[in-house]
Amino acid sequence: MSERKSKLWRTIKFFSERIPLHKMSFESMVSKKEVPVHHMSWAYYMGGLTLLFFSIQMITGIFLLFYYQPTVSDAHASVEYITFFVKSGFLVRNLHTWSSSCMILCLMIHMITAFAMKSFARPRELTWISGSLLLILTFSFGFTGYLLPWHQIAVNATKVVLQSIEEAGRYLPGALSTLPTYIKEIIQGEASVGQATLSRFYALHVVVLPLLFFGALGLHLLSVQLHGMSQGIDKLAKKSEKFFPFFILKDFWLWGLVFLVVFILSLCLPFESFYSYPLFEAYDALGSTPDGIKPEWYFYFLYYPLEILPFWVVMLGMGISSIGLFMVPWIFKNTSRKVLSIIAWIIAAYLIIMTFFGQLIYEIFKGSHS
Amino acid sequence: MFDLFLFIGLPYAAMMSLVAGSIVRYKSNAFSYSSLSTQFLENRWLAWASLPFHFGMFVILSGHLLAFAFPNLWSILVSAPAFLMVVETLGMMAAGLCLVALMILLVRRFVDVKLQAVTSHLDVVVLLILLFQVSSGLGVAINHRWGASWAPGALGPYLHGIFLLNPDVSYLKDMPPLIKLHIVLAWVLILFFPFTRLVHALSLPFLYFTRAPQKVVWTSSPSHVRFEKTVAMDTERRLFLKASLGTGVAVALLSLGALDKFFRYFLKQDLTNAEEAHILSQKLQRLKQSAEERELELERMNKDMIFVAALSSLSQTKGKYFIDYQMRPALAFRDQDGFPIVLSAKCTHLGCTVGQDVDGQGRVLCPCHISYFDIKTGEPSLGSPAKDPLPHLGWALKDEQGSLLLSQDSDGRREGSADSARLERSLLFIVKRFS
Amino acid sequence: MKALFILGILVFMYCSSVFAHPEFQRYSKEVSGRSINCAMCHMHSDGPVGLKPGQIGSLNQDELNALGLARQAFKPGSGAKSPILNEFGNVIVEQLGKEKILMIKQRPELLVESLSKTSDLDSDGITDVEEFKDGTHPLNSLDGHPWKLFKNNLLKNWFHILMLGLATGCGLYGLYNALLWLAMKARREE
Repeated sequence: MSERKSKLWRTIKFFSERIPLHKMSFESMVSKKEVPVHHMSWAYYMGGLTLLFFSIQMITGIFLLFYYQPTVSDAHASVEYITFFVKSGFLVRNLHTWSSSCMILCLMIHMITAFAMKSFARPRELTWISGSLLLILTFSFGFTGYLLPWHQIAVNATKVVLQSIEEAGRYLPGALSTLPTYIKEIIQGEASVGQATLSRFYALHVVVLPLLFFGALGLHLLSVQLHGMSQGIDKLAKKSEKFFPFFILKDFWLWGLVFLVVFILSLCLPFESFYSYPLFEAYDALGSTPDGIKPEWYFYFLYYPLEILPFWVVMLGMGISSIGLFMVPWIFKNTSRKVLSIIAWIIAAYLIIMTFFGQLIYEIFKGSHS
Repeated sequence: MFDLFLFIGLPYAAMMSLVAGSIVRYKSNAFSYSSLSTQFLENRWLAWASLPFHFGMFVILSGHLLAFAFPNLWSILVSAPAFLMVVETLGMMAAGLCLVALMILLVRRFVDVKLQAVTSHLDVVVLLILLFQVSSGLGVAINHRWGASWAPGALGPYLHGIFLLNPDVSYLKDMPPLIKLHIVLAWVLILFFPFTRLVHALSLPFLYFTRAPQKVVWTSSPSHVRFEKTVAMDTERRLFLKASLGTGVAVALLSLGALDKFFRYFLKQDLTNAEEAHILSQKLQRLKQSAEERELELERMNKDMIFVAALSSLSQTKGKYFIDYQMRPALAFRDQDGFPIVLSAKCTHLGCTVGQDVDGQGRVLCPCHISYFDIKTGEPSLGSPAKDPLPHLGWALKDEQGSLLLSQDSDGRREGSADSARLERSLLFIVKRFS
Repeated sequence: MKALFILGILVFMYCSSVFAHPEFQRYSKEVSGRSINCAMCHMHSDGPVGLKPGQIGSLNQDELNALGLARQAFKPGSGAKSPILNEFGNVIVEQLGKEKILMIKQRPELLVESLSKTSDLDSDGITDVEEFKDGTHPLNSLDGHPWKLFKNNLLKNWFHILMLGLATGCGLYGLYNALLWLAMKARREE
């Protein structure tokens, strides 16, 4: 009897510590809130920047929604119409593209710095979990959104990524070996990437993912606001500044400046100019495929290993990382910040090298093996 | 004659009165430069009337001044429809505010006993002139539209003429009476200016923004609170003003430049005829393509065999293109024995359509990345980027009556036989069950 | 009926010589490192041969006549417009003439020297010749070397950028004062 009571009691206590609703008062959330000032304080702004870019995505996304047509015969033409004929259409579309890359960049920096600062430590575990969910949702946004313009690189890159899911079938026994193909066809909606795929990716990108994102974001932001900014470094910071108005002011200043920079970039630099033009021609199922098909840059850290290493190695790595990601608050509960920083640097180095030099590494491997 | 008096004599008299009168008044009785405010006697109605009146008057006078001082610039600015819309809206709103406010200001003087005691005839005259001026201005705006266009062109030169001592009444000769009234009343107001409370307009509080906060010591609160409270109040006001100024300028700049572009995003886009025609023809082309593709798909769904060509029309050196059961491009040749060679034309490297010309070594070329494929075996030659062979397709030969003569599946197993004469007249089909 | 038409086209094609020029494509890729396709000069990205719109197999009689005329444009300045070439392709034929094009096929780098140095068909601030060397499309104003495009657009839009900077500055200044004001108010209320 007392065992059961204590387990229930422990569960309640666990959650009430992680979601301290009693702290939802003006005093603790606004007037008395303080932010530590130390050499890693710059990292406290990263989450806010990610939110800024998400807001830009939402607004520009709604703009694009007014003209985009999600059918295989009209999708590419509707995007061209927006780009060349709608007033400011080019700007809106380019903002959407630039902002998506910026959001993912800020997201990765935010995650790595939060990891290095041990911000996931008790009682902030739920913040980390909701953040990991947001990470997965953001990458899903990127994946589903990329298909929508229905040009060569969009469709072919999606095909390549989905085909690699099918590869897993080779490592599964008997009837299970057809399961990956079955999953792939559920994602695609039909035997190959076509109208069914476009329709469901559109539904996901515009409705389902935003709803899920808002849910996770709500939890994440509530958690951050209730707990306040984490300590960040081992020694208690000597200085701390008031959240309101100083920290929030600097936060908004940064947002204003960053938005100006992104706006100027979007006005003057078409994102597509970094790629060869044949990749952006309308997808032709009966025609040829241009060179250089690959997923977006933020998937390189997954894509190139898939091309270079044996499939099972990558799958194993991904599996461990995904589970590990959610279990971080418990795996690294007793790890010092020093060790966490080292791990963070290693992860950052891997991501940077794979993203910038992935193509080079792939070519070296291809050259030496063929 | 009367025009000369009204538009040359009166203005010069008014300006002399303004300048001389203001200076003389200041020298003889500086403390009379007062707005004679009745704030201590009646506060509530004054707040509701005086502030909107001053705000509206400021907007109206700025607009008038800008237009008359820089008529050319004003004409250029006003040619932008968005700007004109903003100016007209602001102007009407300001005039409306002034009208209502002036009426309240006037009425309160007669209704409140305390105010009746201090109201002089000149106060009423000033208020009435202002009221008539604003009403006539509104009347001009409504009855003689597009003032933003005709006013700079007519009144600008007239005023310039007055100030450059080279007056020219011809600009105003043919103006409608309402406009003339508006102009005359303006000069009258200027004439009366130094004799009325309007002189308070000459003392503008520019120094307020830059001087140090005043220390006003209230005798009613405990002394240790006095200093803090008053300085804080004053700094708070400054902060609010600076904040409003900053965000106000930002919003104004954004509305002028960026927001109207985003607003136009949602409007019907104005395309030239050529652009519309181009978009429409592209749409038509895509629809035709879709229709053709659907027809082909339907054919492949319904039919077990699809006609490719008459065997006699096939060549050893030039393949015939057709679409196979997987909706891929494919080629049909004839070998030296007279039998058909049917293979997929989708290059196994990156999917380009392979060329139809057979070279001396019995190969076709994929031009995209230069891969050669032997048409008999389908194998890519050494050094080609393509590594997998082009798959051969199953085919069947039927005679003109439709009876099956010969068939071959995709692995090369043949069934049936026919003599060369019948073969010559046969028709080539691709077969669903072999695909 | 359709089969006869296609047959006619094939016969026509058999009689005329091949005109695709992959040498220029290969040169551009070597020099720029970017892959291009036939759509740089042709109407269809897979080149002139085939049945798709923009390819020879899809032309009607009038277009076939125009094609015939264009194929005889051996000298520059002929004014012929080939229906299987886009504006850039037709400009090349116009400026050089077919005779010269066939001559410099073996030395594609000469194309760069022979074309006009100032022509910029898509008005993106990068000349057509430069775009050919960079591997970017000369008719697409949004395709070009990123740095060059950025510089040109920056100059083109300097006024808007200045105003934006000003607006941001003013807005942030206003925000700064607004937050200080709120903070002061909040403190006073305690």
